[in-house]
Amino acid sequence: MMIIDDEPIVGRRLSRMFERDGYEVETFIDSEAAARELENRTYEIIITDLKMQNVDGIRILETAVEKNPDVKVIIITGFGRKETAKEAFRKGAFAFIIKPFRFEELRQVIRKAEKEIRNFSSG
Amino acid sequence: MTGEFMQLKIWHKMIIGISIPALLTLIGGLWSYKYINDVKKRHSYVQIADDLKEDVLEVRRNEKNYLNYRDHEHFKQVLASITVLTRSIKMISPATIDEIGKDEFLLLNRTSTNYSTVMEKLHAHFHQEKQSIEKVREEGRRLETFAATGEHKVGLSTNFILNLRRLEKNYMLFRDRDSFTQLDNALSQLKGMVESCYDCMPYVEAIRDLFASYEKSDSGIGELQISGNTLEEITDRIARRERQHIETFFTITQRFTLIALILLCTLGPMLVYGTASYIVAPIIRLTEITKKIAEGDLSLRAPIKEHDETFTLAVSFNTMLDHLQLSHKSLEKSMELLREKQEEVEKCASVGLLVSGVAHEMNNPLNNISLTAETMKEEMDVLSHGELNECLQDILNQSDRAKRVVENLLNYVGARKSSAVERLDINSVVNESVNLITNELMVTNIHLNKNIPYTPLYVKGDHNKLEEILVNIMVNAIHALKDADPGVLSVSISHEQADGQVLISIGDNGHGIPESDLKNIFEPFFTTKPTGLGTGLGLPVARKLAREHYGEIEVESKEGEGTTFKIRLPVYEENV
Ligand SMILES: Nc1ncnc2c1ncn2[C@@H]1O[C@H](COP(=O)(O)OP(=O)(O)OP(=O)(O)O)[C@@H](O)[C@H]1O
Ligand SMILES: [Mg+2]
Repeated sequence: MMIIDDEPIVGRRLSRMFERDGYEVETFIDSEAAARELENRTYEIIITDLKMQNVDGIRILETAVEKNPDVKVIIITGFGRKETAKEAFRKGAFAFIIKPFRFEELRQVIRKAEKEIRNFSSG
Repeated sequence: MTGEFMQLKIWHKMIIGISIPALLTLIGGLWSYKYINDVKKRHSYVQIADDLKEDVLEVRRNEKNYLNYRDHEHFKQVLASITVLTRSIKMISPATIDEIGKDEFLLLNRTSTNYSTVMEKLHAHFHQEKQSIEKVREEGRRLETFAATGEHKVGLSTNFILNLRRLEKNYMLFRDRDSFTQLDNALSQLKGMVESCYDCMPYVEAIRDLFASYEKSDSGIGELQISGNTLEEITDRIARRERQHIETFFTITQRFTLIALILLCTLGPMLVYGTASYIVAPIIRLTEITKKIAEGDLSLRAPIKEHDETFTLAVSFNTMLDHLQLSHKSLEKSMELLREKQEEVEKCASVGLLVSGVAHEMNNPLNNISLTAETMKEEMDVLSHGELNECLQDILNQSDRAKRVVENLLNYVGARKSSAVERLDINSVVNESVNLITNELMVTNIHLNKNIPYTPLYVKGDHNKLEEILVNIMVNAIHALKDADPGVLSVSISHEQADGQVLISIGDNGHGIPESDLKNIFEPFFTTKPTGLGTGLGLPVARKLAREHYGEIEVESKEGEGTTFKIRLPVYEENV
């Protein structure tokens, strides 16, 4: 799992929790570095902020889907408009979550994503 | 008199100005027409006089011929020419005669009649004279034969007689005193030689008659010539006088033309200039006023003095100005309204952006706080003391951040408006603002390059707001200079007298602004700074505050070289 957000606290807190849940987590503050990393490795789940310097969340989504069409991208954003959400879904986003959110909320979404991945690989 | 004259309308003035010279020209023209007519008449008189003179000359020429030949033919010619003369005189109209001189014509008539009479008498006399001559010749021949027959008892020599006859011939030929004396002497000799020679007597008698006849014809010729001369004199006089008339005419014309020319050259331009300036003067006065008004003084009015067309013009002009001034005022009012409206509209337009910005800026710290709080709640037992402390610190920082966002936002919206507008020395405002950041400059090792005049330069405004503008921009410069070595911040003030503005320049040699960002930096929430460091409200707030002071902020920047912000504010003017 990959977490990209230029707010360092988000990465810090989320990685701690998801690692405890048993996921393998990689956090990035710099979206450009994350995009470079995506070229090298495939992730199953990506959590990314939308509004960031350099490379924004939509671009991360595009890059990731291009690399791995089955990737589950969850977008988290401070301000979400319907149009952006629609665009994200069209481009293959798994979920669109608006800040501030509860950790539990995100956890449910991740679980669902994980289930889909398992179903797909088993079936 | 001038006052009354001033009341004339322009076109009246123009008519007068044009008609006076035109009238003068007309009078001059009529006068010259009549004058030339007179000259023509006088010229015809000269012609008449010349013709008369010619006729008289013809008479005299014929007279001379006649006196040479003394025959009937030439007599008739003389009479014919006299008739021509009298006919010419008769053909002259009475009016012309009056003009030339009645007396002269009376004299002329009388003399010509007299001339004819004398002529006729002379002719008759000449006829008799011819007979006398024949008689002399006859008697002479008889005397010759008498002497030749030899009956000369008295000793009458043939030679003497022959000499006598020669002398007689000479006398008839020359008719002068010499030949007469010679003949007379010879006759006296003859008388002395033959006393009571009866045969000699008829000859002597005939010669005597011839003497008398000659004498008489001489006096007749004299009379004729006197009469002829008189005729000549009269016609001559008339011709001369008429010629003189014409000459006087020409002299007068010449002088008159010269005087007219001189007047035309001297008075003409003066008259033209005078009339023109007299006509144009009110227009010029009006033009001068309009020029001044055109330069912007709408309170001026055209003088209403003249009672000509410029009066109407000035009145309409002034009415127009009244309207103009009114609409100018209302235009200014609407402009102000418009400006207010525009601000409102701008506010509305940026509300959307603002909302999304606020949401983003607020939701991020809130999200951070809630995530941290959740972590603490879930992991309460597991967290170390240090970790717990970190979490708490994060929460505090994030709430501070949220507070800052709200603060800046309020600034931007102008909710904390507590304007205290006063007359301020912009130089000291800038100095105080610079003082606020000196600490920061020292820590970041930035060199300050300050160029602020000592003489006060006043603007109208709110001290705190002006300070906020300056500090926002200077803090941005300090941020941009983080990696510069050596970083230089320059602050300068100059008075742009022509525009009545003060120009504050704040420049740095930091990383600059990319061309693509330049149009965005004044947008609320536009920031290139790492999250939490900038809200992107500094410049929009600064611009808003500057506009509140009727000023403007501009930026010049080149990536990698530096940035200069220019703040322009209107200089305080006593009368505004
Ligand atoms: N002197 C400067 N040199 C380089 N870039 C500048 C300079 N001043 C402003 N900027 C750019 O303009 C952006 C907007 O500036 P602004 O002051 O509005 O926001 P901020 O400084 O990012 O945040 P805030 O001032 O609200 O804390 C900055 O993020 C920066 O990219
Ligand atoms: Mg700033």
